[in-house]
Amino acid sequence: LNKQEETLLQQRLQKRQMKEFLTIYSNLVDSCFSSCVDDFTSKTLASRESGCISRCIQKQMAAQQRVGERFQELNAEMTAKMQSQ
Amino acid sequence: MSFLGFGRPKLSSEEKVAMAEQELRMLASMHNRMTKMCQTKCIPDYREGELNKGESVCLDRCSAKYFESHQKVSDIMQAESQKRGPAQGGAMF
Repeated sequence: LNKQEETLLQQRLQKRQMKEFLTIYSNLVDSCFSSCVDDFTSKTLASRESGCISRCIQKQMAAQQRVGERFQELNAEMTAKMQSQ
Repeated sequence: MSFLGFGRPKLSSEEKVAMAEQELRMLASMHNRMTKMCQTKCIPDYREGELNKGESVCLDRCSAKYFESHQKVSDIMQAESQKRGPAQGGAMF
């Protein structure tokens, strides 16, 4: 890809990353809600539900980070293998 | 991502960028699915806000296995489509 194409690609990727971020955000809300909230006798979050949601977000972000690191390593490994073939 | 080498046709600039974008999208998609899958498999509850040792190691192993599974499926599908012969126009993965 030449310089121009590179720039175009970068622009498209940036747009996509924004979309990606919104998707991750909404998935986070959905999954933590579904795991943590089960009490509908009140219209405000119980303190245990609220605590669960905070822990859920923290944990999921930590997990995402870890998997992201492994993914990068594995991807790099695979690319190196393919190039040496 | 390789092209079974029947000689590369000249691609327009737009096509090249689109292809590169497509490839990166596939990688991003795989990343997302891997994250989701491994979280489901490795994280049973949210009693703690941090990953414990067992969960961390599970995530590492899950990532490696997912990657390997992806490779395996891709290899087998390619072999299958080659068996069927180029006339069948195998699907691109």
